[in-house]
Amino acid sequence: MAQASSDAVPRLERRDARAFMAAGGAFATLFLLALPTFGTAYTQNVLIQMFTFVALASSWNIISGFTGYMSFGHVAFFGLGAYTYALLVTRAAVAWPLAVLAGGVLATALAAAIGLTCLRLRGHYFAIATLGLGEALRIAVLGWDDVTGGGNGILLTPVKELVSSYYGMALVAALAIGLSWAVARSRFGLSLLAIREGEIAAGMLGINTTACKLWAFMLSAVVPGMAGALHGRFIGFIEPASIFAVLITVQMAVFALFGGRGTVSGPILGTCLLFLFQEQVWARFPYLHLFIFGLVLVLIVLLMPKGLLGLLEDRGWIAKGVVR
Amino acid sequence: MTESLLTVTDLVKRFGGVSALDGCSLKVARGNITGLIGPNGSGKTTLFNLICGLDTPDAGQIVFRGERLDRRPPHAIARLGVGRTFQLIQVFPELTALDNMMAAARDGSWGQSRARALELLAFVNLTQLRGERAGNLSFGQQKLLEFARMLMSDPGLLLLDEPAAGVNRVLLERLLDHIQALREQGKTIVIVEHDMNVVMNLCDWVCVMDQGRLLLEGPPEVVREDPRVIEAYFGR
Amino acid sequence: MLSWEYVAQVVVSGLLAGGVYALLAMGLTLIFGVMRVINVAHGEFVIIGAYVTYWAFALAGLSPLVSLVLSIPILFVFGMVLQRVVIKRVIGAPQLSSLLVAFGVSIMIVNVALYVWTGEYRSIPYLEGSLRVGGLAFSRARVVGVVMALLIAAAFFAFLKWGRLGKAIRATAQSREVAAACGINVGRVYTVTFGLGAALAGAAGTLVSFMFSFYPEAGLVYTFKSFAVVILGGMGSYVGALAGGLILGLAEGLSQLFLSSKVGDGVAYVLLVLILLLRPQGLFGGPGE
Repeated sequence: MAQASSDAVPRLERRDARAFMAAGGAFATLFLLALPTFGTAYTQNVLIQMFTFVALASSWNIISGFTGYMSFGHVAFFGLGAYTYALLVTRAAVAWPLAVLAGGVLATALAAAIGLTCLRLRGHYFAIATLGLGEALRIAVLGWDDVTGGGNGILLTPVKELVSSYYGMALVAALAIGLSWAVARSRFGLSLLAIREGEIAAGMLGINTTACKLWAFMLSAVVPGMAGALHGRFIGFIEPASIFAVLITVQMAVFALFGGRGTVSGPILGTCLLFLFQEQVWARFPYLHLFIFGLVLVLIVLLMPKGLLGLLEDRGWIAKGVVR
Repeated sequence: MTESLLTVTDLVKRFGGVSALDGCSLKVARGNITGLIGPNGSGKTTLFNLICGLDTPDAGQIVFRGERLDRRPPHAIARLGVGRTFQLIQVFPELTALDNMMAAARDGSWGQSRARALELLAFVNLTQLRGERAGNLSFGQQKLLEFARMLMSDPGLLLLDEPAAGVNRVLLERLLDHIQALREQGKTIVIVEHDMNVVMNLCDWVCVMDQGRLLLEGPPEVVREDPRVIEAYFGR
Repeated sequence: MLSWEYVAQVVVSGLLAGGVYALLAMGLTLIFGVMRVINVAHGEFVIIGAYVTYWAFALAGLSPLVSLVLSIPILFVFGMVLQRVVIKRVIGAPQLSSLLVAFGVSIMIVNVALYVWTGEYRSIPYLEGSLRVGGLAFSRARVVGVVMALLIAAAFFAFLKWGRLGKAIRATAQSREVAAACGINVGRVYTVTFGLGAALAGAAGTLVSFMFSFYPEAGLVYTFKSFAVVILGGMGSYVGALAGGLILGLAEGLSQLFLSSKVGDGVAYVLLVLILLLRPQGLFGGPGE
């Protein structure tokens, strides 16, 4: 039944593909780094948001794409990072870079707490448990209003220039990509994939599945925490309903799945393509836009479960393993 | 007298009101191929699951090389030197054959693991399929892959759950040859099987289970003749 | 400090709400038990039922209890259609696929509802006021709601136990292969099952419409509560769904009383995490599925 597929010549040979991607990546990076010198404020704004989602999608991919444990409440880390930042900066006059880091640390701590309780169980229990996480945090913030300001949110001193947000978020996105890349190339990453493909067998091969899952979950929370903090700083105002919105989890999930779960470039590709599409649709039809997200999610699962990259790989357009 | 590598003592496991294992005790001698047979529901798979740590016993103990296995998580048991294949093949479908092997690599550098993986793939004649998605392989090829993957960490005790199930004659011969070769290397093997020919020809020792405990044990020729075995399978 | 009457009222009130939660969860357990699908869109079915009832009341003055005649069939058909078009394609696939698909569907439903009906909080002013029993006051709406919930649940049980289709459903839940071998059309059973699950949720939605206030995004809350109940009681167990529902209702009532009124829906979450920590298979759940 199976033929060695080395007979078929993929359109993009592995060596050429790597060279092509490296060149493209280098060019894109230089372009993006230089952009604040010539780009408009509008462009920078859009890019800042795009960086945010690249960071979120890449991080979400670590626990959901690589490990197969879908986190349906990942926005909790984003919101927690934002509130941590806001409280530290307004109540304790902490320098903003430190507060951003603190956002990442607290998000990781939350991931550890939830992970220790829920990751010992199988995938669907975990997904259900995370489903309520974002909401639970939103309610907690709403309720604890003497500290968090409840529904009124927290107002931050406005940041007058875009540059710090731009490079800050770009750095955070790069961090997420770097983490993703490091995981993909490591033995740890292979263990995560093994867990996704067959958790019981993975355990019988000596992989400590519980520990791996926990690390993956924690790693997937660090960057969203920092991104949330930076995002809060950038927007200048945070309140529970928007910072813990289910939409944010949906967006990062759809971006990552569309591009290709379990790959490094999938979330980046998915975010770039879908975010720009979203920008065109959002301005006109707020509810239609969300509706389309739901539809896209359903279509992805039914028609291209391995994402765009997976599709291209299967069709032989790109050689296997090029982008993993 | 060959020493016992694995000793199971008075193992009890209940599911709801049913006793899958009801005071099961047996010893597996080092360097032997031991067959584990018995009618459906006699507790063979439950026993395997308990040895591997996929479940915990309600009572009793399991000792392997002097260490207690019960109540340990599966990965710890695997690291002590226990390997297992499953009744329903559990290869990692999206990963290539080579990656399947590499996922099982424990120590040594990446290069060393890779060399060993390729060596084992050659052992089961799957070298040319190393870049292929495991899910695309044929049933027989997947079975061999799972078998080779188990050997990556060089386990001393191999638990094979119905290796002959659904396998054609040619592949079966190869598998049996591999198993014999492993025994020559000093490994200890326990096989759960329904195919009596395989059991009689391959095994040095046979344990018959019935209703959650060991009914009798002995060399294949002796067990084959014992009327209690026939009764266990067909009697009730 | 707190009079025992007040506490008793809160307890009973919570239990009454719990009865509706139980009905909610039964549809979920049914779908999971038979099809192994984790219907994350369950709460949305509830909301649709609630809106159907609301509009029947607002436009035609139809009493909510009567509009059960509307909401149940509408959701039943809707569920069946959904199953044929979408769900059936993910039944064999890894379970997380069904989760994602249902999640996508739920997003679509919520946003259609938001678009056509806006996010305004709605409720039906029906059966207002309280019932006095022995010096204690209970919300009339809740009492009637729970009685209806129990009646519907009882009808459902009767159908499962004695109806021909009900038996086919139970057989398929036990083993799809054996059921197919016995000549049962498994595909049709799945379709009916999903429809039934949706119908039960829709019925719960009708009850919700006059017991609480609702809005499109509340679907997620109800989905989550049904999951909390199902996991509490044990996946696949109807008795568990009942027990879980009552426990959740009780816990919500008590925490409103002793902690703060703002805790609200967070209780379900805490309960869920606790049960996952202590006894993941739930109170009546079997050994892992």
